[in-house]
Parts: sequence; C-alpha cells; structure tokens
Amino acid sequence: MAGAGPIRSVVVAGGGMVAWGCAAALRRKLPAIEVTVIPLPLAPGALADRIASTLPSILEFHSDIGLGDTDPILRAGCGFRAGTLFEGWIDGQDDYAHVHDRYGQQFGTTSFHNHWVRAARRGKVAPFDAHAPAAAMARAGRFILPGQQPAGSPLSSFGFGLALDTVSYTAMLRAYARHIGVRERPAAISSVQLRAEDGFIAGLALDDGSLVTADMFVDCTGPAALLRSELDQSFEDWGQWLPCDRVLMADAAAVEGQLLDRAIAHTAGWRWVATNPARTSHGLVYASAHLTDARAARTLRGSAGAEPGEPIMIRQGRRPQPWLRNCVAIGDAAITLEPLEWTNLHLAHNAIDRLVAMLPDRDCAAVELWDFNRQCAAETDRVRDFLVLHYVASRRTDPFWRDLRATAPPASLAHTFSLFSERGRLPFYEDETFTRDSWLAVLIGQGVLPRRIDPLIDTVPPEQSERTMAAMRESLAAIVPTLPSYTHFLRTLKGQAIR
Amino acid sequence: MAPRRVVIVGGGTAGWMTAAALTRLLPGQCSVHLVESEAIGIVGVGEATLPHIRAFNERLGIDEAEFMAATRATFKLGIEFRDWGRIGDSYIHPFGTFGPGNAELNFHQYWLRLRQQGVAVPDLEQFSMGCMIARRNRFALPASDSRDLASTFGYAYQFDANLFAPYLRRLSESWGARRTEGRIVTVHRDGESGDIAAIELESGERIEGDLFVDCSGFVSLLLGKAMGEPFEDWSKWLPADRAVAMPCRTEGAITPYTSAIAMPAGWRWRIPLQNRTGNGYVYSSKFLSDEDAAAALVASVEGEPIAAPRQLRFLAGRRARSWVGNCIGVGLSSGFLEPLESTSIYLIQAAITNLLELFPEPEISPVDRNEFNRLIDLEYDRIRDFLILHYHATERSDTPFWDYVRTMEIPDSLAEKMELFRRRGRVVKYREGVFLDASWVAVYLGQRVIPEGHDLRADAPGTESLVAGMVKLHSQIAEIAGGMPEHRQYLARYCPMAA
Repeated sequence: MAGAGPIRSVVVAGGGMVAWGCAAALRRKLPAIEVTVIPLPLAPGALADRIASTLPSILEFHSDIGLGDTDPILRAGCGFRAGTLFEGWIDGQDDYAHVHDRYGQQFGTTSFHNHWVRAARRGKVAPFDAHAPAAAMARAGRFILPGQQPAGSPLSSFGFGLALDTVSYTAMLRAYARHIGVRERPAAISSVQLRAEDGFIAGLALDDGSLVTADMFVDCTGPAALLRSELDQSFEDWGQWLPCDRVLMADAAAVEGQLLDRAIAHTAGWRWVATNPARTSHGLVYASAHLTDARAARTLRGSAGAEPGEPIMIRQGRRPQPWLRNCVAIGDAAITLEPLEWTNLHLAHNAIDRLVAMLPDRDCAAVELWDFNRQCAAETDRVRDFLVLHYVASRRTDPFWRDLRATAPPASLAHTFSLFSERGRLPFYEDETFTRDSWLAVLIGQGVLPRRIDPLIDTVPPEQSERTMAAMRESLAAIVPTLPSYTHFLRTLKGQAIR
Repeated sequence: MAPRRVVIVGGGTAGWMTAAALTRLLPGQCSVHLVESEAIGIVGVGEATLPHIRAFNERLGIDEAEFMAATRATFKLGIEFRDWGRIGDSYIHPFGTFGPGNAELNFHQYWLRLRQQGVAVPDLEQFSMGCMIARRNRFALPASDSRDLASTFGYAYQFDANLFAPYLRRLSESWGARRTEGRIVTVHRDGESGDIAAIELESGERIEGDLFVDCSGFVSLLLGKAMGEPFEDWSKWLPADRAVAMPCRTEGAITPYTSAIAMPAGWRWRIPLQNRTGNGYVYSSKFLSDEDAAAALVASVEGEPIAAPRQLRFLAGRRARSWVGNCIGVGLSSGFLEPLESTSIYLIQAAITNLLELFPEPEISPVDRNEFNRLIDLEYDRIRDFLILHYHATERSDTPFWDYVRTMEIPDSLAEKMELFRRRGRVVKYREGVFLDASWVAVYLGQRVIPEGHDLRADAPGTESLVAGMVKLHSQIAEIAGGMPEHRQYLARYCPMAA
C-alpha cells in the first residue's frame, strides 16, 4: 500500500529565506535525504522572503533547525520586536498595541477581558493594552528576555519576534544550510519536465543544459510558482475581503530603540514603519482602485523620506492545494497576503514544519497530501480572518473603508465577530495562529465591545476587579523602569558576544 | 436582570449534574426547579468515566475522597479491551501518554522504527506508565511535576451512578435547588414562539419556566417528544441497540480499569466498584435475542450475581440539535453513544459547561443556541468516529455480527484517518477533541492496524542510543509502577465506603 519506498532526494527552488529555511529543516530533521537548492533571484512579490518583521514562531523554527536564539542577532544583525502599534484604524481614537503576551491575568472564574469590559461599561478604565506586560515594556522602549526574569514576574512569559535584516539573515541561513550538507546548484530553470504517465515532475532543465532530478520538488519561487503552476493554476481569490492589490516599499536609515512596528491606516489602505538594526523599512499597502501608483509613491516618499521601489502587484488568496503530486508550494507560491500582522514567513515556516512531519513515500499518495492541504487551508483561512477583522472592525469614512465594511465577511469571521460582540466569547478553531489574547487585542483595541459578558463574573464584585486591575498596572509600573533600555540591551548582548 | 427560571426534567445523573452546576456557579442568575419521578428510575448502571469528571467536581468544590466514599468509587487508569482485534488479544487504552510524552515526535514513531528495523521491542503498552500501573492492579496519584515520569498518566473514576445522583441532589438542594416529585403528563408550548411555557404534572400542578433542560433520558420528553426534534440514526455504523446489565460480587483484585470484552454480537463491560462489579452485555438485536444475551451474560460474569439481569434499549445517534427554542437536551435525551469509551458522563459535562458559558438572557439569542449546537455536534462527531474504529478494525469473522462491522462502510472522515495511520503511523490532529493522539494510537495498534512505515524524523537517532533509551525507560516505568500500593489498599486508606 505504501508506495515506492521513501523519498531520497528533494530539490528546493528559490533563493530567499523560505527556500533556505526549508532546505535546512529537511536536511536537519531527515538526514537521510539529499537536499539541493536552486537559488533563484528573489521575485519582487515574494513577501515571505522580503518582509523584515516576524512573529514569535520564528524562534521555534530556529530551535527546530538547530539555530540558537541569539544567532540571528549576533551573526546576522537582526533585532527584536515586541509587537505592532495600530494607529488611525478608528477615527478619533488612540493607538493600540498588539503584542504577543497575556492581556491581563485571569482572576475569579472568568477570563480577564470580561472584567475589563465590565469596568469599561461602568466608567473610565485604563486601556486594555495597559494590562499587557510586554506592551507596557515596549512602549517604554525597554527590553529584557522573558527567560531573564524571575518565574513570578509578569514579564517572564511574553513572546517576541525578530526584526530581520533580511539580506544578512538569508546569507546566514544559506551558510548554515550548506554547513549541514544542503547542496547548492546555481543556475536558472529553463523548463519543468513532467512525467507522461502521472504528471509528476520528473526534473528541471537548467540553463546550463543539465537536468536536475529528484523524488520531490519544493516550490519557493514566489507568486509565479514556477514549478507548482505547471501542474495546475487554481487559485482562491480573496480580493473581495482584502482588496489591497499593491505594495510599495522603501528603505530608510535605522532608528535605535524601536520595539514596536507601526501600522497606520490611510485613505486607501495602510502603511508600515518597521525598524531593524540595519535599516527602517517603510511600506504602503493600498487598493489601486482608490489610489494611483503615482500618488502612493508621493505619499510614501513623504513619510519615509526615501525613494520607494516599483509598486508590487499582489493578488490576495491561496492555492486550494499547495501540494499536488510530488510538488509542494511554500511561501508566496502558495499564499499571497498583505503583510498586515506579519504572517507571511510564519505561514511558510508552518508549512515547512508540516512538510517535514508528513513527508510521504515517493508515490505521494493523495490521502497523505490531503491532510497537509487541509491543515494549510484551515490555518491560512483563519489568518485571513484575522487580517480581515482589522478592516471589518475599523471606523473610517473614506470610500475604501466604507466599501470594505459593507462587504459580508467570510463565514468563520462573521461567526467569530457575532459571538464576540454578542457575549465576549471567541469560538475555538483548529489550526489557529493567533491566540485569544491577540484576537482580543484587536477587537477591543478597535473598540468592539461585547453586549453581554460571561455570567460567571457575578461571583467577583466590580470594585474588587477594578482593584485587582489597578494592582496589575501598578506592578508593571514598578518593574518597567528597572529594565534596561532596548538600545542598551542590544549593545550589551552584542558586547558580551564579542568578549 | 431577573433570574431565569430553569426547569430541569429528570433526576438522573444528567439532571442532578445540571442542577448542581447551575445552583453552585450561577446562583444570582437562575433559580433551579427539578422535577423527577421515582417511578421512572434512572438508567445508570455503574458508571465508568473519563478524567474530565475531575475538573467538574473540582469546579463544584467537591472533595475527592468524600465523593469517592459516598459513591463507592474506584480509580480508573484506562480501559482494557479484550478479544477485539482477534480472540485472545488484550490491550489497554490508557489515560496518559506512551513514553515520556514531552517529545516533539510521538513515542510510538521510535517504537515503530525499531520494530520495522527488526529490533525486538516489547509491546507499546510496556512504555506507558498508566498501562503498567493498571496491569499490576496498583494505584497512586500522579506526580505534579511534568518532567517526572510518574506524572504521565491520568485517571478517572468508576462509581455507582445510583449513588452519584443522590449525592449531587444533597449538594444542589443545599445550594438552593427545588425538587418536585411527580410524573409529567402535559408539556404546554407557547402558540406563537413554540417555546415551552410550562409542564403539567399528574397531580395537576403546573410548573412554568424560562428555560427547560431535558434530562429525561431516552424518552426525550421535551426535546424529542414535545419539540419534535428529529433524531439522526447512526445505527448503520454502531448497530448495538440493547444492553443487559447485572452486577456481581468482586472476585480477586479490584482492577483500576474498566474492561470491555468483545462478545459474539457486541461486547461486555466489567466495571469494578468498591463493593461489587458492574457487568453488562451491549449487543445488536439483529444478531442476538434478549434471552440469549442474558444467558451469555450470566454465563460470563466472574462473581456471584447480586441481582437479576435487567434489559435496556437504545439507538445510537443524536438529535439534529440539542438546543431548540428554550429547550436544551442534556445527556441521553439529546443523543446516545454506547458506553464503549465511557463517554456518557463526558457528554453530559460538555453540555453543562457550554450551557454555563452560553447561559442565555431572558430573550434567548440564536447566537448562543447555534454556538451551543455547533460545539455539541463537534463532540459527538469526534467520539462517533473513535467508537466505530473499535468495531471496524478487527480481523474477526467468527460471527455474523463481527463480519458485518468488519466489512461495513465507514464514514470518510474515519477511513482517511485509518489510512494515514496505516501508512506511517500518523494520527490526525484534534487539538481539543476528547481523545488525543495516545488514545488513537492505543486502539489502532491494539487492534492490529499496523503501520507499514514511520515518520522519517524517527530515523534521526542512532539505533544503539535509541535502544539504550528504551531499555532505560522500560525499567524506570516498571520500577515506579511496582513501587505503588495495591489499588484495593489505596482505596481502603484514601476513600473507604461506609460499612
């Protein structure tokens, strides 16, 4: 039944951090397999390879492939990031921070947000994110690794991502992959050759006249999906919910001490400011129906103080089957999403983990691919929901924003939204990327308050919850000033490494 | 807000569990009025539970030792399945993990790899703390430190359901539940909304309410009869529709596990309590007459019978919805799955937990209802596939019953899961399902669904070090299990029933 024996060789096409990360993971976890990378130049629309801000999951990915936590900092000039500040998504309201941390601590029998909502109803209350330790820390420009805090400290359990210098980081991954035995075959692909009998990829004809063959092919070539699109072109388009179809990027000088990226809403989309130790990345994400490329370029030039590149055209959505026969698409070859919430590389890493865990026999039986595709789909659809949530829960008057709010959201998001607005609950979904606290950070941050809250809260009187909430804020206010500044922290870390 | 008047119909396990939870956890929000008829009696025939029951008891502040003494309870480490894959087979489905349970890769993958390599490895159950304690008829509470091997098992209880309901009744009444004894003759529905307005008793008494919880058992007095909610019949997959039960004296050790022993037309349960052992034969009336079933049960029990055989009838399946209008079915009134994996009380508990969290306002919102029904459906569907697996994964063809279940069509969702396991031992992930990876692995391997391959990540360690690790683990588990007291002694010290 199991077919044709185990896979012995894999070719990974693509030259960015998705391809090199994939090759390193395969090689490291499945040492019996020969892995070859065909390093192609980065496609402009390969967002998973180009976006510098990452989610906490990147650290798990590193530890899985055998890289240390501080390697990217010390060897590739990367920095840390604690979260994102969202500005202007609600007219006339302060920014809110989405960090990867607990928002308050449960007390009594109901979760924290119920206490917060009840207090908000009763009158003035400190912002929801004032109860998230990492938000208080990052807003103050201070930083410490959670592992360096004593176990009981409110700052002992937050998550953080990395702010990548994508160029040095990719170089580091490449060097590491080669070090553990990944082969590199520098050439361009001139054609993809399919086996007549079953449509599997037999090999890639290279521009040096040679043919590279393998049992399995991983397509990390960006949105063009040079390999995978030879098998089929089906694509699920999400333009109705995510109508931004352009990304403009510009690099400016680095700014020290920034732990929070900024995502600022504008008339026809949003723009970002994200700093890593090497540079500050500026970006503008917009819908071409509402903003011309020329005006977009002017806008970004004005805010970045740097010259933007060419506009990148994107079409948001995903392949229903990233894996077909012996070819699996990972990164932008499988999924295109605007970089809001920085999920592009995260989704690629999860697909790599799955590929490693699920690698089938050489016949790539449909039942085994089915589970991979099912999990990818479930995960991606929920990430889409989370991104769409930012728009659905916005309050701005420009036509772009009004049109978006008038569009019926995907059913799973509609369910989430109604359950939360009705009674403060969040439904459970398999393969969810963002934690309940992340959903709450955005929902409450954008002013969505439930009509009712958990009935079990009645066992704690409101005065008592307000006292407990105040005590949480006070304890943060006492700890944060004792932490080193982020700039100092980074310098010390690098200094220790030199010594 | 005025407290909602909750009327509970039926005073068995479901009725009193609901009453206890509502009175204890939502005291200000509802009044509870339970109507039961002693003439109807309860189905409970000695109940084996899942570890989840402990969370329910803890939430209610129930003292474990006191509760166990009152219900003549014993500890349960898992379920022994005898004669399922083939006559003569025996395996235990433990509440816990195989191996230390903390590795990235499930332990059975390494075990499979060594077997497929031709290395002689003991049965998988010898690497499960829970199984090894069970096989020795021993017990001690699990360790709290998750790095400790002695923490890698869970436990539940085997208790007398006829005593559990009265125990909860005492608590519920002390927390304010009202109880009326009487037989219901009429259910009055509101002409406009179709909601239940009141129930009328034989005595002429009329009891009004805002919310009606149907705990009437198989008759489904409110949900099925009054509201007319259709029943989805699953008997083509789960053909057992009768049971005959008979307690007997306990001979020999009190096993810290329930046994499910395959029989010619179904299976037989064996549930040891402190004072007696519950027995029952679950069978399909298509394949066996009631007389023959009773005779087979009498012939097979191990101790002297202490009551005459008692017959029960049922049908596998569930109501299309559990919550309709203002009527909520909890327990058998909303569906039935045979007690093969001790899920009856678990399903009651799931309904109660969801009701607490979605407790409605005076005007019941469809959002609450739909979410409740969605969550309950998920529970039923997952358990259903797991139960069908037990029947279908067999080599037995010795009776028409086993021939039928072995060759019957199974749901696609289960066929895919089985195929994935057969290929390389993969378990389809169910993060919040009641049965986790180890449960599926236990049943698959225990019933001879043997993978042809394994997860390639298991090839990473060298054979020698892997074998050395297994040998060490094996002896550590044997040592810890062997050092625990006899189950009977532990009970006598911890929670002896009143003489």
